[in-house]
Amino acid sequence: MSNATKVIGTGPGAWFGHIGDSLVAMQHGYGKALRRSRGRTIVLSLIILLGLVYPLLHQYVLAEFSRNVFALPLPDDTVMTFMMIFAIMAVGLNIVVGFAGLLDLGYVAFYAIGAYVAAFLASPHWAAIGINLTFLGNVGPEAQGVHLPFWLILVIAVVVVATFGALLGAPTLRLRGDYLAIVTLGFGEIVPLVFKNLSSLTLSFTLGPIVIAVDNVNLTGGVQGINPIDPPFLPFLNILFDSRSGPLAVYLGVFLLAITVVVARNLQYSRIGRAWMAIREDETAAAMMGVNTVRSKLLAFALGASFAGIAGAFQASYLGATTSDFFEFSTSILVLIMIILGGIGNIWGVIAGAITLTYIDKTFLPYLGQRAQDSPIPLPNPAEYNFLLYGIILLVMMRFRPQGFFPDRQREAELSVGGLAEAETAMGVELDLDNVSVAPRGQEETGPEARKAETIDEARDL
Amino acid sequence: MDQIIQTLIIGLANGLLFALVALGYTLVYGIIELINFAHGDVFMIGSLIAFALIAPVSDGGYAIFPVTAGTAVPLMVLGIVLTLAVTMGLTAGLNAGIERVAYRPLRHAPKLAPLIAAIGMSFVLQNVGVVLAGANQRTIENVFPTTNLLSYIGIDGITLTVSQVLVGVVTIPLLFALSWFVAKTRQGKAMRATAQDPDTAGLMGVDVNRTIAITFLIAGALAGAAGVIQILYNNVTVWNLGFRFGLIAFTAAVLGGIGNMKGAVLGALILGIVSSVSDRYVSANWTQAIVFGVLIAILVFKPSGLLGQQLADRA
Repeated sequence: MSNATKVIGTGPGAWFGHIGDSLVAMQHGYGKALRRSRGRTIVLSLIILLGLVYPLLHQYVLAEFSRNVFALPLPDDTVMTFMMIFAIMAVGLNIVVGFAGLLDLGYVAFYAIGAYVAAFLASPHWAAIGINLTFLGNVGPEAQGVHLPFWLILVIAVVVVATFGALLGAPTLRLRGDYLAIVTLGFGEIVPLVFKNLSSLTLSFTLGPIVIAVDNVNLTGGVQGINPIDPPFLPFLNILFDSRSGPLAVYLGVFLLAITVVVARNLQYSRIGRAWMAIREDETAAAMMGVNTVRSKLLAFALGASFAGIAGAFQASYLGATTSDFFEFSTSILVLIMIILGGIGNIWGVIAGAITLTYIDKTFLPYLGQRAQDSPIPLPNPAEYNFLLYGIILLVMMRFRPQGFFPDRQREAELSVGGLAEAETAMGVELDLDNVSVAPRGQEETGPEARKAETIDEARDL
Repeated sequence: MDQIIQTLIIGLANGLLFALVALGYTLVYGIIELINFAHGDVFMIGSLIAFALIAPVSDGGYAIFPVTAGTAVPLMVLGIVLTLAVTMGLTAGLNAGIERVAYRPLRHAPKLAPLIAAIGMSFVLQNVGVVLAGANQRTIENVFPTTNLLSYIGIDGITLTVSQVLVGVVTIPLLFALSWFVAKTRQGKAMRATAQDPDTAGLMGVDVNRTIAITFLIAGALAGAAGVIQILYNNVTVWNLGFRFGLIAFTAAVLGGIGNMKGAVLGALILGIVSSVSDRYVSANWTQAIVFGVLIAILVFKPSGLLGQQLADRA
């Protein structure tokens, strides 16, 4: 993967050329996978193909069947679009938590910033203070407020959110794992509060000859949020991808997800990706080997965050509205559960986790809730207790399968061959790595290590 | 001037309440280096238990130790004492049970595993709160007279209510009792030894598992006491009370220097005053953001806190 190292530090032209290279490489990779394990590759391909056809199948066949013949818990196109949005976020959070081993509990902040970037740049919001700017949008030139095209907004959202990611990361990366988790959590709480509260801003200050005076300006729309936001729009073909566009929006989501997957995969196998994994395993050792840990961790934060920016901008444009209520701590945790379920570090695993959990959250539990309501005996509504289920999932996964259902194969191998567990068994002691390592280690290491330690504990109790 | 003192009084009362919960974070972090995310929710469960014990049936409680505005003073004191005892006992047991089920199996796992388990436990407890008391706020009538105690000594500009005094009367003895327990008793010594080095403490004959369980019992009992005060002082509880409150208390613990008990109390009092000043002079909408801003600022600039010792690997 020598071409992957070109990612960092080359211009946008090289980027596109590089993505082309990647597509070719993927083709080669597919052939290789087909030769290596034929059955598995074919089954996976069929699942992906079916997934790609499903939105159409649902629109024209299954929805009718479910409506008229027998109610099935089928995800509709809104749910499918959200599957893609959450999958994009899961891939992004996986860069921070999975690759670099930094626990980010405030990921929702970047999602919120992405959504508000879209809201600020494609809505009539600023007309209230007389700012009107329409540029290549899908609205007429007489439209009030700021209207930029969706594709430009995506790029701006990525840049803005990555900047915020770096801003948050810069002062906090000295912190140890659990402190970092709390700082990011605090950031994740502050950002939606700021969006909620900046609804009547009054300030005035003098900067040399410039006097800035703002009187009661509604900056963020407050509790009501901002709407309407222009939907994603494909020029020339005149296609709108709004919440009424059915499968079209799902396919836009698939397209965006595909881009993020290509970027994430290239990052994973590039120089920076290997630096992240070195830091995750042992920050001190990585630094000794010449890895610039601060720069690498900052990049992890900024790049991981930018994915949430894409997801946020897409979500706001798709729904046509955004409010601060959308971005709660529970959303950060939901994405975290997705990647823990799927297998931290494995891109395909976390996508599977995101799709599964979004399905459970938005289709399956409400479906059960509907059944419970229809039943003659009073039953609790499972949709109201979704976070009870997620809490239990977290507890059970941490206890019994911390590596997730589709663990990253490379990491599993790293951990089992000549790993810590082996050394411990050979020496008959428990190695205390806490004094050696300052890096928060990934979750995959839990299994063998924990079991070994328990028996030692038991031995000590006797 | 009166206004400032008034704000300080409210801030101190809030701060004492924060202190009870903050101590739970600091005790647990001191001993097993775990940010016990579920602690705020144990406090919330405590407030629900207190609500059930105290509130009249018309408000949705069970009035087992009925304390209302009309209750005679001796009965009221008895009711509050019994409520405190029962609530503290139940939350202590709950907290120790959580440790046994969720954290002990992960004791030697990487540090982030128990943290994530604690987040899971927090969600579980919140939903238990919804099951027990529904999704809406539960409120009771203020049970204490609202007369200004300071008017008896001729000060009218500043108000000090009975409920504010109650916060001090319950909290301060508990703080001294805890301080005595940790400093003077055999078990307290075991706790300090385990906090320093669990392995060595184990070799010296300290039952580490038992010591950690007792730490969780104490933390849970303090959270239960805070829950009772929450009901009697703020008169309201709801299932998601614990999350935000817990974060404020955790901030207090970090501000004071996590692992340090005096620091937790100091940090809680400071934050209590900061939040009442913010409520009064900025806007209640911003208080939350200001508290989190304080948290981030401390963690970034002085992770050891005001009274914490400088540990190389702590930051």
